[in-house]
Amino acid sequence: MSKRRSDWQNRPQERFVRWMREGYLALDEAIEDSVLQPGEAPPEVDPELAAQHQEAALQHRHDRDLALDRLAQYDLYAWTLTKGRRLIGRLHVLLSLLLGGMIIFFLLGTVAHMPRFGAADVPANNEVITRYIEQGLAETGATNMVAGMILDYRAFDTLGESTVLFIAACAVLILLRIDLDDKGQPTQQLIAEESDDRHYEPKNDRILQGTAILLTPILLLFGLYVILNGHLSPGGGFSGGAIVSSGLILYLNAFGFKKAGRFFSYKTFQWVSFGALGFYGVAKAYSFYCGANGLESHIPLGTPGAILSGGLIMPLNIAVGLVVACTMYIFYALFRKGGL
Amino acid sequence: MLDWIRFIITALFLLSGLSMLITAVIGVYKFDYVLNRMHAAAMGDTLGLLFCLIGLTVSAPDIWTALKLLLIICLLWVASPVGSHLIARLEVTTNPHWHQLTGAEKDEDQEVDV
Repeated sequence: MSKRRSDWQNRPQERFVRWMREGYLALDEAIEDSVLQPGEAPPEVDPELAAQHQEAALQHRHDRDLALDRLAQYDLYAWTLTKGRRLIGRLHVLLSLLLGGMIIFFLLGTVAHMPRFGAADVPANNEVITRYIEQGLAETGATNMVAGMILDYRAFDTLGESTVLFIAACAVLILLRIDLDDKGQPTQQLIAEESDDRHYEPKNDRILQGTAILLTPILLLFGLYVILNGHLSPGGGFSGGAIVSSGLILYLNAFGFKKAGRFFSYKTFQWVSFGALGFYGVAKAYSFYCGANGLESHIPLGTPGAILSGGLIMPLNIAVGLVVACTMYIFYALFRKGGL
Repeated sequence: MLDWIRFIITALFLLSGLSMLITAVIGVYKFDYVLNRMHAAAMGDTLGLLFCLIGLTVSAPDIWTALKLLLIICLLWVASPVGSHLIARLEVTTNPHWHQLTGAEKDEDQEVDV
């Protein structure tokens, strides 16, 4: 009969489409059949009239196709809302389970293949580690072996890390800062952000302010302790700087930008970061220069375990801590409203 | 003997804390609005953490570690409710339809001061 009855209709794609449309094709077929019903030979007609009729029929068919297309689209839309959503949801669950299972499997496999804790024949146990453990205290003067490593043996690496932080802060500053316009007047965007922030900011929240009064000094003190004690106990510039900046951010949240701006502005950020990184670079350049040329550096190592010991490690910790604290604080301020 | 008693106390506290946390997680996934979810999450934040840290305190090797753990409990009990309060405050400030979403009766007399 009609062309639609040929075999392509039973291909998997077509069956999927039919399943998706849920019986839409039956209607389609009925219309198609009624239109293409074979009849007796057409009687003789006026060719002009026939052309008109043909045109009308074409137009009608075009309209009908359009309508059917719309119907199909609507059906597809309905499908995404019901069956499709269920299907995708199940697929999602299945894939998540698979992914989670795979990660668990590989992690457990990796752990199972690791050497036993404290085994002597691990590849990491080589002459470098031996040197750090045996000579570290004598050479760096730091009781905390990790601080001795990252701020003495591998201080260049730590300088790079601090510089990365500084560059990241600069990039965020360039991207997010909403500046004054050319005449020094606040722009529309700045005013909008300001009012938005005033609206959403927990301004004069008694609970938060009480907590901030209680916690900010503790956080700052603890951060300073972690920084200054970095060569004696676990800690150091990075972690201490993060704690200090969390104290600053808490203060900023509780009391607003106006009060926080009294002790922290762009100038503070510039000078503190520049000073800390510059000091770090100069100090380490001096120490590397002396060490490479076999000169006496005249930096006293002190008695191990005392607070003033470890040579350059404590000042370098302070520099790293300052950079980290400033960077995190300015990240927060810029992401919140695009300025200090 | 003493070690065993200590171990059992630790295990009991840790298990109850973990069950608290699991309840909190289930609650967070069960509810679908932020204020309702916070109600569930706050359980884990306070009671679950308290139980876990008390369990660790009991098993601490010396008195100073135990005191530090108690300090951590103090810090968390001060900080985490304040965090929840801020989230709730932001939601109430920014969403005028929170009454319908929580399913609570709107109390006309009680104005939310934000």
